[in-house]
Amino acid sequence: MSPGPLLPLLLSLKVAAAATAIILPPGVALGWLLARRAVRGRSVLETLTALPLILPPTAIGYLLLRLLSRDGLLGERTLGFDPGLLLTWKAAAAASAIMALPLVARTARLAFERVDPRLEALARTLGLGPWSAFFGVTLPLARPGLLAAAILGFGRALGEFGATVIVAGNIPGRTQTLALAIFSDMQIGHDREAMVLVGITTALAFAAIWCVEALLRPGRRSSR
Amino acid sequence: MTRLQLDLTVPLDRYTLAVRWETQATFLGIFGPSGAGKTTILEAIAGLRRGASGMIRVADRLCLDSAAGVSLPPEERGIGYVPQEGLLFPHRDLLGNVLAGQRRAEDSGRRLDPEKVLRVLELGGLEHRTVETLSGGERQRVALARALCSGPRILLLDEPLAGLDLPLRRRILPFLLRVREEFALPTILVSHDPTEVRILSDEILVLAEGRSVACGPPERIFSDPRVFPMARDEGFENALRGQVTDEQDGMTRVALSSECHVHLRGEGLAPDRTVLVGVRAEDLILAIAPPRGLSAQNVLPGVIREVAEPPGTAGVDSGVPVMVELAGSGQVVLASITPRSRRELGLRPGLEVHVVFKAQACRVLAAL
Repeated sequence: MSPGPLLPLLLSLKVAAAATAIILPPGVALGWLLARRAVRGRSVLETLTALPLILPPTAIGYLLLRLLSRDGLLGERTLGFDPGLLLTWKAAAAASAIMALPLVARTARLAFERVDPRLEALARTLGLGPWSAFFGVTLPLARPGLLAAAILGFGRALGEFGATVIVAGNIPGRTQTLALAIFSDMQIGHDREAMVLVGITTALAFAAIWCVEALLRPGRRSSR
Repeated sequence: MTRLQLDLTVPLDRYTLAVRWETQATFLGIFGPSGAGKTTILEAIAGLRRGASGMIRVADRLCLDSAAGVSLPPEERGIGYVPQEGLLFPHRDLLGNVLAGQRRAEDSGRRLDPEKVLRVLELGGLEHRTVETLSGGERQRVALARALCSGPRILLLDEPLAGLDLPLRRRILPFLLRVREEFALPTILVSHDPTEVRILSDEILVLAEGRSVACGPPERIFSDPRVFPMARDEGFENALRGQVTDEQDGMTRVALSSECHVHLRGEGLAPDRTVLVGVRAEDLILAIAPPRGLSAQNVLPGVIREVAEPPGTAGVDSGVPVMVELAGSGQVVLASITPRSRRELGLRPGLEVHVVFKAQACRVLAAL
């Protein structure tokens, strides 16, 4: 007996929200760095950022599993305590966060690139320090793009399967997100239930992409 | 007090900008053709140019001293920068833009009352308009108001009238003059328009290809034979200040002094209005005897103050500047005279002449 669509839906939303919260600050920072700074090793950084886009999600999942396992770098033996992430929704969130990084960082980068750097320079001449200029000018002007980055990250996390199943398993009611529930229903022949879940995910994805397109439409308050 | 001390080197694509300038004047102008490096100087002063080296001192504040390893970030230089494109913050309304530098104004004790600034620039009542809904002239004034309200030590104006059409320029110019009179803030104005620089500056640096050609007070600088051809190519106009006296037969009469009147096409200006009348140097005719039977409406008595030497043998057909002081007004005009006329008429300093030009050759540059 499958638990119905509600539980996987709520769990998916929780996991995706947590993943977005985890990945947004570093993703935005990375996007800013790539848009504004001529850092050394920039192309390496760009490539690394894009890697989860290409790598099989199972590869990422496996790496994360090794990292979090008892002997891993973030495991019980190194930390001195058991972080207790594996096979919980938190591990699902961590896996989804990593998978969402490329989309978040790239969209954030575009958002910052759309802000005219001369506006920041001008803010500096008005007596604003670099941080005030960032929070007073850059961030508000990049906000639609950054919101789009968050929504895309959220949407990507919502659909995450490969890495999640490795680190969080597929435990109904605990780690079984929509994507995992579809797989389970399909395997046991619950075609109607699977179709319902597919319908829900499609609606969510549609809404997310629609919002993103609206936010990124050219001519929206951009500075160029 | 030294207003500005510059000893600046900035490598650019086509040449290296190298300028030295030290001055006590309050209203400084930098004139030169496009691509001469004018904007680069302003950006270097504002601290927005990487690669600028040398020394910059603004109103006794050392902003840059490469030898001593000093380079203040832009926010510590006390600059009010008005770039050519205005660069208003699109996410804030008019007032939000004007108050963007409020914090420094308050901390520095150089605060100007924003309400007064908005009033002087005729922006009152538009406080909550968004940037998109402002006209070109309004944007320009908002950018100026924003700089004024940030408590600057010095104002940097980059081509404040470029990109505006003629009627709009005529409307903005009075605002610049009004700001100059009301707030008396040290200013560096950059322009490729010699008339604008002349009207708004006490001392002018002329720049070409990143080098200083000459510097000095406006009435001297444009009669300099090295500068005059450049200025004439960029549309130099003499600017005569006077009061409207009356309007008859569709002609406006402007008194420069009790002896000098200028007649020009009717502008519907109220009597007693102060105006600046513009007339090109090449549209002026000099007569060494009182002329008779002319259709030209304007015949102004004056005395030659200066006659430039023709620049060598080259370009003998182009005019050389002759400076004439108009009777009773103390104002000078530059007339572009061919070397041949100069020789045949025996033009020399001290000679009494009449300056002749058609009513159609002059126009109102600004009504104040």
